[in-house]
Amino acid sequence: MAVCVAVIGKDNAPLYIGGIGNDTSTDNELSRQWLVHTALDALEERLVSSNTTNTNSATNTTRTDLRDLYLGLLYSTDSHKIYGYVTNTRIKLVLVTSSTSPSGSNIRDAEVRTALRRLHALYADAICNPFHLPGDQITSPKFDKQVKSLMLNNV
Amino acid sequence: MADDIVFELLHSEIINYALEKNKDNTNKETDLSVVEYIGFAAGYKIMERLTREWPRFKDELDTMKFICTDFWTCIYKKQIDNLRTNHQGVYVLQDNAFRFLTNFSNGHQYLEFAPRYVAYTCGLIRGGLANLCINSVVTAEVQTMPSCKFHIHVQRT
Repeated sequence: MAVCVAVIGKDNAPLYIGGIGNDTSTDNELSRQWLVHTALDALEERLVSSNTTNTNSATNTTRTDLRDLYLGLLYSTDSHKIYGYVTNTRIKLVLVTSSTSPSGSNIRDAEVRTALRRLHALYADAICNPFHLPGDQITSPKFDKQVKSLMLNNV
Repeated sequence: MADDIVFELLHSEIINYALEKNKDNTNKETDLSVVEYIGFAAGYKIMERLTREWPRFKDELDTMKFICTDFWTCIYKKQIDNLRTNHQGVYVLQDNAFRFLTNFSNGHQYLEFAPRYVAYTCGLIRGGLANLCINSVVTAEVQTMPSCKFHIHVQRT
């Protein structure tokens, strides 16, 4: 379902960007990075608005679950939809689905939520590797493999 | 439980090792920064796992409450007994029966060795907070064993 997932660190530096499809092509890599980074502004905005509404306590009913880690649909283009998730430790997880592919066009919110939750679990496991330094890119082939299978099997 | 003792023994061996290493240093001051750093790295990594199922923290106090309850329970099998703050970035966490000190004495005996056994925990708290984007300086104070106070000074930029 997903065409691309990304893990972005506290300082907005990408820790991991993985995609499926023609992986070797540079074009794909670039468009992937671009897609993920367009979502970052929307993501920050969402976070700030959640903080202010919490303090003002002027909450409307649709925004009651602002303390939820899952932020929902951030941004959609003609061909892609971008979903975001921010952990308590300010790690941003971004998932991109393609609206042109048959499985990605009518994807449910709950499915994306589970996928991002599982990605968070995988990330936490990868970070617990004692050889991994915080803030470094994630180069673990095991993590890569698990994420790829997560993207493929529609959760 | 057997699995609790493993952590305690490993911890005291780390302290012994660190002390052994800077024995040949000429100055009397014992250097526990390496132990503190081990704690920092552990705290940083534990935090990523612990906060996985948690909703987003509202503010700093909310985060400190998390440290006192869930974080402490996870590592020391009990909660912090007392949390105090001046609402300006200073927090004092008091544990009346700190796990690493409970087996030593119930008063002033061995008091001079107590600082060694709190360095790791200072790092642990600092690392946990650092991963939650709160930079801090953590110090500890032992007046009578086995109670221990941790002072957290949040660094504002």
